[in-house]
Amino acid sequence: MLGYISYFILIPMVYIAFATLILGLMYKFYVIFKAPVPAGTGAIFPKKGSKVLGLLYDAMIFPMAYNKQKFFWFIIMVFHIAFFFLFLGHLELVYEFKFIQIIPHKVFLGGGVVGIILIITTLYFLFRRFGTPYREISIPEDFVILLVLFFCILFGSILHLAERYSDWGAVLRVDVNDYRQWLQSMILLKPELSYKITELSHYTILVLHVLFANIFLMMFPFSKMVHSVLTFLAHYRKRK
Amino acid sequence: MDKDKVLELKQVIEKKLNRPMLYYLDLCTRCGLCYDTCHAYQGIPKKEYSPVGRAEVVRKVFRKYFKPTGKIFPWWGDAQEFDENLMEELREAAFSCTGCRRCTMFCPFGIDMPYILGIAKELLIAYGNAPEELVMLADGAVEKGKSVDMFKEGYKGVIKDLEKEVQKLINAPTSDGLIPMEKKGANILFVGLSGAHSIVYPAAIFNAAKEDWTLSYFEAVNFGFFAGDSEKANFIANRVINEAKELGVKEIVIVECGTAYRIPKFLMGPLPFKVSSIVEVIHRYIKEGRIKIKEGVITEPVTWHDPCQLGRNGGVYDQPREVLNILAKDFREMNPTREYNWCCGGGGGLVALDNEEFRIKSGKPKKEQIEKTGAKMVVTACENCHLQLSTINAGYGMGVTIESFTKLVGENLIV
Repeated sequence: MLGYISYFILIPMVYIAFATLILGLMYKFYVIFKAPVPAGTGAIFPKKGSKVLGLLYDAMIFPMAYNKQKFFWFIIMVFHIAFFFLFLGHLELVYEFKFIQIIPHKVFLGGGVVGIILIITTLYFLFRRFGTPYREISIPEDFVILLVLFFCILFGSILHLAERYSDWGAVLRVDVNDYRQWLQSMILLKPELSYKITELSHYTILVLHVLFANIFLMMFPFSKMVHSVLTFLAHYRKRK
Repeated sequence: MDKDKVLELKQVIEKKLNRPMLYYLDLCTRCGLCYDTCHAYQGIPKKEYSPVGRAEVVRKVFRKYFKPTGKIFPWWGDAQEFDENLMEELREAAFSCTGCRRCTMFCPFGIDMPYILGIAKELLIAYGNAPEELVMLADGAVEKGKSVDMFKEGYKGVIKDLEKEVQKLINAPTSDGLIPMEKKGANILFVGLSGAHSIVYPAAIFNAAKEDWTLSYFEAVNFGFFAGDSEKANFIANRVINEAKELGVKEIVIVECGTAYRIPKFLMGPLPFKVSSIVEVIHRYIKEGRIKIKEGVITEPVTWHDPCQLGRNGGVYDQPREVLNILAKDFREMNPTREYNWCCGGGGGLVALDNEEFRIKSGKPKKEQIEKTGAKMVVTACENCHLQLSTINAGYGMGVTIESFTKLVGENLIV
């Protein structure tokens, strides 16, 4: 039974998660872009810098957060940069991208530090919500997303750290090529889960990691996570 | 609430769901960075007066009726159905916000919180819970727009009297024609307010600059916008736009009224003429040498209050400062200033409501800002700001003088 559940999480549910993410975002953009555009502008003055560079600066460096709470800005920056590195690391699990190997490294830059940074910053976001005034403005969605993200990163980090540093990982070490074989087979719609993965000593951790990742991806288009893409539109209107 | 009313209110929201509204409603993470950026929250530290607190009231109902998660799992997004309490919360949210957009300055996602409150205002109108004062004033303006010919003769008589006051200000040999009306092809169509001061001083300045101008039959203020009634707001704004088109003017100049400036300048799309504030025009005349003003005539310390719709939402920052630096010997800047300046608490039509106690409390950061400068005179260029600053001044017994920018220039013209 457990084997079936694990299989469901690692194969069909991954497809469901990505389909929900892609279709959900496409629908969201369809609804937004078919909606009427009001006349005029929502500009705030002075409009500093060029429209495009200024937009990227506002949306990716968060100067407003820097002006308001410098420590919180630092945490936000660290979190998002770490998330970017994590994304690159996962790309490497799919295929050996040469551009990521500009700095030669074993898959996942940072040797596990990135995951630890994400655990700390996610916990910071979570516990910040328990304090006044943030508790009063938080809704269940805020806590659930952070918890899902926390567990996803936690299990991912355990996988990675065990793999890289512990003797336990050394007993049944999985080669990165085994992950690539599994993930590439998924992309080619010919899913294949090798025994080298299912027989891993930390297979259950892998299943839990993928489970939380799937949940996160499925929630993405229907939650506040869309801020990562919609913020560009909002900042554009501010500079229009 | 009965089903028909709920359906009607849902349709009101649906009509307001344009592109920016959709992403503003969706992308807030409730990070709380805007929490204390509102002057009202500074004066009355309650969630209801925080920008995110206000926007969440609208989001709750949006989620309930327009998001799948709100329909299936209302607890997930704290979604809420329409009821009496919610309507009261919407009223509190909508009419404690001046639309200054200071919170937008601090939002890492660029969310325009007052824009979201446009839904709240429209819902209140449909529910019959909008402030009566604003609705009546908007109706009056619409009525005037529909039957302007009935008002013309009476208005011309009033203007004749005002011409005599202009004559005194500029020492003109005659008062005839000092306030021209219905002049086709004039360079400027000036749009004033209902108060005589809003016409007399600009008229003196236009005459001193030998400008080819004409006065609008309508007042600039847009109570439809304040009430949140999009239809009336558009009608009121279009009265002046159509008048300008019919006269074929090159520029419309708006009196000291921040919102009246922002609407045609930034919210109505491209227009076949230029839109300027009287502040910009005065500055232009001085730069071009068309008018001269007395230098250093104000000896006491002076500070400038940036009206939010003129500064943060209009980009007019340097012009009034340059003029005041000529008039005053001791000009002092407020802190924070310019785009970070605190709103006075009178915008968005709030000064027209019976809420003086609230406005005095929410004016606390402005009072502290003024006191820190040590200025004895506060100059501004917005009628709402002027009224609210006067309320704060009296409410806290500050003992400063609140002065209108145009009046100050008009009184100190060298003619």
